[in-house]
Amino acid sequence: MISPSLEGILPKEQMRYNNEEKHLLGNGGIQIIEAYSEEDISKVLAFSNKYGKTVNVISGGTKRGYGGLIEQADILLSLAKYKGIVEHSVGDLTMTVRPGTTLKEISDELGNYGQRVALDTSWPEIATIGGIVSSNDSGAKRLLYGSVRDLVIGTRIVYPDGRVIRTGGKVVKNVAGYDMNKLFVGSMGTLGVISEITIKLRPLPKYEGLSLLHFPQGNEQAIRAFTVLLLDSKMEPVSLEILNPAITEKMTGKHHYTLAIAFEDRENAVLYQENWVKEHLPIGAEHSVLHEEEARQWWAKFQHLGPNGHHDDENDTYTQAALKIGSNNLDVLINVKAAVELAKVFHVVVEAHGGVGHGILRVYVKGFPEDIVTYIKALRKKVEEKRGYVVCTHLPFKLRETVGVWGEKPGYFALLEGIKRTNDPNRILNRQRFVGGI
Amino acid sequence: MFGKKRKKQCSDPVVQQLITMVGESEVLYLKEELIAYECDGYTMSKGMPRAVVFVNNTEQVSEVVKLLNKEKVPFIARGAGTGLSGGATPFGGEVIISLVRMKKMLHLDLENRKAVIEPGYVNLKLTQSISDKGYYYAPDPSSQYACTVGGNVAENAGGAHCLKYGVTTNHILGLEIVLPTGEIVEIGDDGIPDHPGYDLLGLLTGSEGTLGIVTKITVKVLKNPEDKKTVLAYYDDINDASQSVSDIISTGIIPAALEMMDSIAIEGVESAAYPVGHPSDIAAFLLIEVDGISAGIDDQINEILTVCKNNNVRKVKVAKDEAERGLWWANRKTGFGAMGTISPDYLVQDGVIPRTRLPEVLGEIAEISIKYKLRIANIFHAGDGNLHPLILFDASIPGQSERASKAGSECLKVCADVGGSITGEHGVGIEKSAEMRFIFSEEEVAAQTNIRAVFNPENLLNPGKLFPQPGRCVEVKKEPEKVEV
Ligand SMILES: Cc1cc2nc3c(=O)[nH]c(=O)nc-3n(C[C@H](O)[C@H](O)[C@H](O)COP(=O)(O)OP(=O)(O)OC[C@H]3O[C@@H](n4cnc5c(N)ncnc54)[C@H](O)[C@@H]3O)c2cc1C
Repeated sequence: MISPSLEGILPKEQMRYNNEEKHLLGNGGIQIIEAYSEEDISKVLAFSNKYGKTVNVISGGTKRGYGGLIEQADILLSLAKYKGIVEHSVGDLTMTVRPGTTLKEISDELGNYGQRVALDTSWPEIATIGGIVSSNDSGAKRLLYGSVRDLVIGTRIVYPDGRVIRTGGKVVKNVAGYDMNKLFVGSMGTLGVISEITIKLRPLPKYEGLSLLHFPQGNEQAIRAFTVLLLDSKMEPVSLEILNPAITEKMTGKHHYTLAIAFEDRENAVLYQENWVKEHLPIGAEHSVLHEEEARQWWAKFQHLGPNGHHDDENDTYTQAALKIGSNNLDVLINVKAAVELAKVFHVVVEAHGGVGHGILRVYVKGFPEDIVTYIKALRKKVEEKRGYVVCTHLPFKLRETVGVWGEKPGYFALLEGIKRTNDPNRILNRQRFVGGI
Repeated sequence: MFGKKRKKQCSDPVVQQLITMVGESEVLYLKEELIAYECDGYTMSKGMPRAVVFVNNTEQVSEVVKLLNKEKVPFIARGAGTGLSGGATPFGGEVIISLVRMKKMLHLDLENRKAVIEPGYVNLKLTQSISDKGYYYAPDPSSQYACTVGGNVAENAGGAHCLKYGVTTNHILGLEIVLPTGEIVEIGDDGIPDHPGYDLLGLLTGSEGTLGIVTKITVKVLKNPEDKKTVLAYYDDINDASQSVSDIISTGIIPAALEMMDSIAIEGVESAAYPVGHPSDIAAFLLIEVDGISAGIDDQINEILTVCKNNNVRKVKVAKDEAERGLWWANRKTGFGAMGTISPDYLVQDGVIPRTRLPEVLGEIAEISIKYKLRIANIFHAGDGNLHPLILFDASIPGQSERASKAGSECLKVCADVGGSITGEHGVGIEKSAEMRFIFSEEEVAAQTNIRAVFNPENLLNPGKLFPQPGRCVEVKKEPEKVEV
């Protein structure tokens, strides 16, 4: 049954009462509303703002376990059906899309034109561009291609009062006014609902290669020395990702620390760089190389690691968590080691991978809830010693309060609060989803 | 600075307090000293500051700001003053806080590819100071020999090599700022990526000194590319040059730089300090640079040469050595100033368009030139569609300045109308604040000024810049909120 107050806002078939059991990951809503257009979004928000209803926003649901201290808002607004490409300007290497479009849908379309969005984020066939932008998700190849904030050049945002505000524009270079795009990237939907995104594209690489360096002795010093040497060389790796033995096992069947070094360029240039790697191979390291389709398949598999809020199975004996750890680039090596060592202490199973050139480490944890909680706390303490941070990008609702998804509030929290208050004075949007309970 | 004793004693109580705070030698207040601070590189608007104060460290910035905030005196941060939109220009009565004395490198961490510098650090000096180790700082505005990285952050400066490597905002990892209240805030924790919270680094970069005064900057530094090759292509028809730009991008090449100059611009640079010997009868040239792994470059150069030939290029050549390449770039990078050799005055515009619309927009700019009877030269970053029409005029002839301004504004309208922007790198400042309306609605402007109010609630920091005055009918009022950090 539709709550009477909502009647007439949108056609009945777009609204339904949520009959499900409470969701393991929270971030649900009593009424589920499907938006088919920007106008729909605008109507729902204006209504909610006027009557003080809280709204959670969802699309693919892969990040449902990312932040959020409210189990059910009044409304769960789904953008999953508000999808499609609005405009693809091939010659300008730009594209405008609706938020519910999945990364895979975008990539497939662009592939026809020899182009792509340079994002290699997880679960591309489920994760939507709206969710990826809102959560500032990124993959291993951000090392060379940058992250969401470097790609988004314009948006349309439905503000909580229903007004549509454009940020940025459709051109690749633009400094007119504040760079408001940046406010919405990674803001977890707390400042407005993104109804359209314009992104910069890149040509598909002419040739792809992936060098895998396995370190059977797990020799930390050798790994570090090699990465420093590579980073100080003139090679241009697209990824320089360290994989812990558990992930390596899944990916390649070997139980070693591994460096996944991708090169994407003209064939000659790729082969030349792979050769450089071979010539500088650390003692004791094993080495294999994948090219083209093989390399692409390897990365496709890599994009399906870790938990996914879209189908987190409540019946799984173990609880799952995912962490994003930011640190100085090279501290990724220290942190990956710490993640593995502490897992033994706290009886959890972890898979971990991180970019030695970009400073982001991902840790996927399985275990009993209480072990996961103590593990995260211990790891956070360790990471913070070197000024890093730990954010829980996936955690069951019940654990989120205990652990603290975002860590401590930053010293300038008042500014963040001020921005939230400016955009969403009634705090209707994704309430308590973000840093410091914003 | 002005070591000898001044004759006049200053009676301004605010200036007296500033002198007490930072010392007599660090404050300018005599009219003859202040004249140099009446404007920045945009000379069509001028205003006399109340004083200029040179600060030496963050604490001093904070103290000075606290005082000005208490006295409700508006103030402006200033770097080298090379801005081209009046960002550092007073309307009259503001105190200018000059950051040029804060020019130290505080920390260099090549393993983690970052450097921490003070805001007065000169852009080019940054690259020079790390080049012996094979590193550089990518954003390279043509003013890089003079402009400060603080000013670059405020303007989100670009440059010729931003096509491949991105603009300032893509290279800023951390900032320390002093808020208009005097509070010191550290953002980005010295370069740790994706710090949880709204992206304040992204918001502050390009905010034209209206949200806070930048006192420390962590930048990303890059390794020099293994190799680079530079191509110069001469065209008889500007449309062929424009088409080549699109075709190069369509082949899947991302050049490090892809610049264009038209015939009037060529006339200017050839009579200035770095003539290359470009033929005087060509319609345009393209300057194209490809960099990266050596083994992949020749392929790309060959494809570029083919594209040029397919588009009726008259002559195309690859720089034979670093000296030739250097000359081509010096010729390009001094392009604005070179207009001084063919015109008493010039006004630089900075519109952006989707690059596929180049031929059409250049045509319309030519129409504007005819309409206003002013010559317009074009020197620009063709690869990312960032145009710089340079409107040539003579300020001593009555009415010409106004005509130049109008012609400039009309060029921006053309850019806006094809779905572009009114500024790609020089900022809005005083110059283009009215033109903001070409691309943003009143509500969209208010969405931005409301954010300003979070940082700068009393609008004491660089007031009157960047945004048009709100239209009377749609004025959106917000309670200014004080932020305690
Ligand atoms: C010949 C010439 C060529 C140019 N070429 C380019 C180009 O290729 N690309 C490009 O992008 N620009 C170019 N410019 C414009 C200009 O050089 C840039 O905008 C530059 O970033 C300004 O730096 P500055 O130190 O001179 O800043 P200023 O002119 O002193 O100030 C510019 C703005 O920044 C603010 N500001 C300065 N320092 C701070 C600080 N520490 N904290 C907060 N706010 C601050 C000021 O208040 C002002 O609003 C050119 C200018 C000239 C004269």
